[in-house]
Amino acid sequence: MSIEARIRHAFRGFTLDLKFESEGPVLGVFGASGSGKTTLLNCVAGLIKPRDARITTNTRVVCNRPGGNWTPPERRKLAIVTQDPLLFPHLSTRANLTYAPGAKDALESESGWKIVDVLRLKPLLERNPATLSGGEKQRVALGRALLSKPEMLLLDEPTSALDAELAREVLALLLEVKRALKVPMLFVTHKAGELMALADDCVVLSEGKLVAQGPPVEVLSKPRAIGVASLVGVDNLLRLQVVRHDEEGGVTLLDLGGQELAAPLSEAEPGKHVSVGIYADEIMLCLEKPAGLSARNALPCRVLSSDAVDHEVLVKLRVGATDMLARITPAAASELQLEPDKHAVAVIKTASCHLLG
Amino acid sequence: MLTDAEIEVVRLSAMVAAWSVAVSILPGILLGWLLARWNSPTRGVLQGAVMLPLVMPPVVTGYLLLWLLGRSGPLGQAWEAVSGGRIAYTTGACVIAAAVVGFPLMVEGIRIAVLGVDPKLEMVSRSLGRGRLSTFLRVTLPLALPGVIGGAVLSFARALGEFGATIVLAGNVEGETRTIPIAVYTLMNTTDGEAGVLRLVAVSVAMSLAALLAAGWLARRQRRRAGR
Repeated sequence: MSIEARIRHAFRGFTLDLKFESEGPVLGVFGASGSGKTTLLNCVAGLIKPRDARITTNTRVVCNRPGGNWTPPERRKLAIVTQDPLLFPHLSTRANLTYAPGAKDALESESGWKIVDVLRLKPLLERNPATLSGGEKQRVALGRALLSKPEMLLLDEPTSALDAELAREVLALLLEVKRALKVPMLFVTHKAGELMALADDCVVLSEGKLVAQGPPVEVLSKPRAIGVASLVGVDNLLRLQVVRHDEEGGVTLLDLGGQELAAPLSEAEPGKHVSVGIYADEIMLCLEKPAGLSARNALPCRVLSSDAVDHEVLVKLRVGATDMLARITPAAASELQLEPDKHAVAVIKTASCHLLG
Repeated sequence: MLTDAEIEVVRLSAMVAAWSVAVSILPGILLGWLLARWNSPTRGVLQGAVMLPLVMPPVVTGYLLLWLLGRSGPLGQAWEAVSGGRIAYTTGACVIAAAVVGFPLMVEGIRIAVLGVDPKLEMVSRSLGRGRLSTFLRVTLPLALPGVIGGAVLSFARALGEFGATIVLAGNVEGETRTIPIAVYTLMNTTDGEAGVLRLVAVSVAMSLAALLAAGWLARRQRRRAGR
């Protein structure tokens, strides 16, 4: 998959003005609400006619304005899935799935079975869409989009209308869609975890402009630099390799480069990478290794820097080969005398290591 | 019971009303959709033009129609040149008068029904590879159907009661243009017409009521099928 876009579009006092190209295969579009993510997606889908834009998907110029061609949405082969599943209420689940031209045959084909299998649609086929739960509806919406055989799936915050558990389930499905069906995606989200888990490349938007592009880990590891810290929410986003599982102990050990981090049990196989988020205020600092501790992580570390910001102190640490940020009070900072190069111990509860997929 | 002449009047009325709905339903759907979805400054002008027969006195509408379709009117002459016949004072004129006067009610019903269909559903349909027309036929129209039925029934009931424009454009020709309201008016001016008036009034009330009940039933059934 490749996408190339140069868009200038003003609409009701908001201007989207950006330029990027990406090889995907899954391109994340990240930003706060109002940053222009959905406008960008709608331009790519053809649901908005931008005044001045050139958009190319897979070497096909779908929009070249002003003056050039403009392909209507139905001929772009880009299927949309939004946060609202938008199932057709007058059609059965099966008729929703086979809505796109050719989808009836697709459903009967081997690739169609695979879609049904991955999204676990079989038990839903004969049910009325009105009786489906939120997560089930979203599965049907995904299936409906995939059965239209799109060149690219356009996902507009597909999990944000769901509660946390269902959102995880849908994210897991998307990962499976990516792995098993190899469908390229343009994925709009404001959740850092989803971006880390799913996207290969990402563009970060702020007020209609592109502020960063690159692999999610890279882009999100400096959230303060790109002004999306409040969005990212978690200050420490780490991409770590699984060393081994301790099923009895209920932890998965992750490699920090010379040290190990005990995170909650993960399903990822050893050797695979997982994303972990840790809030800066959930890291406790001690000068000596405490004894008799319930927290599974007491990691010797070195202070890199310590900055007072408003009424808190941000301490940058190096644990093994990994950098982390801890947030403590000025009182604690002055008592511990945390200067650069000072050695300390970072205490982190297993439950504070949030697995993001 | 009804006399043969009265049965003829009732039959003619029902036929005229049915035809008036039949000829206006497709343009009604097109205009209703256009007025709901078309974003253009011209839309207001169009909407005003469509609504005009609703606010104008029907006799004035009839007069304007006669001016257009009468023997010396531009369209009347054109029709005569093509078919050799006339339009005014025929059953066809009754249908035209009823259709024009009932049209705003139909269009308004359809417009509001189309407005009630989430445009995002249409966008999803387009992105799934269905063009504008296909999307309209597969998504918009089925979802707006209760409103379309409601609009059609209202215009049917309005056609049954049409008097002013009909009497001007189609006159009062027994068996051809004498519909229930015109027959009632005629009977009221006839000695001993009282009983006939009462019978036709009863039939008229029954037909209007039946139309309303049928509309309600159809709309409910459609909503159930749509799972809402």
